[in-house]
Amino acid sequence: MDQSSSFEDQLAGLLPRLRRFAHSLSRDASDADDLTQATIERALRSREQWQPGTRLDSWCYRIMRNLWIDTARSRSRKAAREAPEEEGLNVGEDPRPGIEAAVDLRRVMAAMERLPDEQREVVALILVEGFGYREVSEMLGLPIGTVSSRLVRGRTALLAMVGEA
Amino acid sequence: MNEDEKFFAWLDGELGPDEAAAMEAKVAGDPALAQLADQHRALGATLKRAFDPIAEAASPERLQAALRPPAQVIDFAAARRSRSMPALAQWTAMAATLAIGVLVGTQVPRSSGGPVEVRDGRLYAAASLNRALDTELASAPTGDVRIGITYRDQAGEICRTYTAEGGSGLACRNGGRWQMKGMFAATEGQSGDYRMAAGMDPDLAALVDSTIAGAPFDEAQEKGARDKGWH
Repeated sequence: MDQSSSFEDQLAGLLPRLRRFAHSLSRDASDADDLTQATIERALRSREQWQPGTRLDSWCYRIMRNLWIDTARSRSRKAAREAPEEEGLNVGEDPRPGIEAAVDLRRVMAAMERLPDEQREVVALILVEGFGYREVSEMLGLPIGTVSSRLVRGRTALLAMVGEA
Repeated sequence: MNEDEKFFAWLDGELGPDEAAAMEAKVAGDPALAQLADQHRALGATLKRAFDPIAEAASPERLQAALRPPAQVIDFAAARRSRSMPALAQWTAMAATLAIGVLVGTQVPRSSGGPVEVRDGRLYAAASLNRALDTELASAPTGDVRIGITYRDQAGEICRTYTAEGGSGLACRNGGRWQMKGMFAATEGQSGDYRMAAGMDPDLAALVDSTIAGAPFDEAQEKGARDKGWH
């Protein structure tokens, strides 16, 4: 990454990937963009904590993941209090044109949503974002064996839900 | 790493060359494993097909707006101030300071004669600033220190903003004295700055905003409070 460009520029360059990660963590598109916005705001406020020379992308992914954990916790408490009858998918503004593409995305987001949080984040980081096992282990502060075993369980469950097509 | 994990590590290109070659041979000789590999490659492709277009699409305006430089924050603070505190508008025309930061606690020298002093770890107004806070009225400025607004804070204490040569600030009553709540330095040579028109330092305005209970005092209330010793 170009070290001479401003922090904001570098962050802007990461925005598309952060948005993609947010979609793979969140249950719908509007939650995903809320999460992305919160991540950008947190990154801008905490910019002194980022050490130049280290990877800004890993730092931002970690911020997003931590914010997501926080909101996911409060949401699951809220969901537990409310009646669970609304089983249908709550899809906000879809970021893509085309019905087929939207169906793809909904189906996959719905399946991801059903994974336990700790499997979902590992699946998202490795299979969608393309990080290596070691990078994810450092990002999440987990032993690499834990990353690897969560990934096996997550992708196996996902295959059963989504199928290979 | 168990065999399952090793199989997937191979699929993800995470094994070293020797282990990868061994796993490749194992999969080649086991149709069930070969099929599983195909299924998981297809799953990976499905995930990429579903999520990648998001990274290729234009981001929503609100996300791009969140990245814009902080000039917007100043505009926002000014807008909020004008919405919530119309009574400030008159006063703000007097001030021509530009905030660059807050001085607190230990940054202020203990030497005597300055406008503030530290006592028991707290920062209090002193000398001419203390006199002005005690006696001056916004409507009848006489000295170098000009009083801005006077109000009661959420703890019920009286607070006053002021502008002096070096900057502006906020002090509130505490134990019979004026305790400094914030000081904002003015910058030299900024008289042509667009922010001059905005008047009150945005950080000071935000501080007032976050502490005020009700509306600022009017002229009669301000005078009445002074005559009663700021209780």
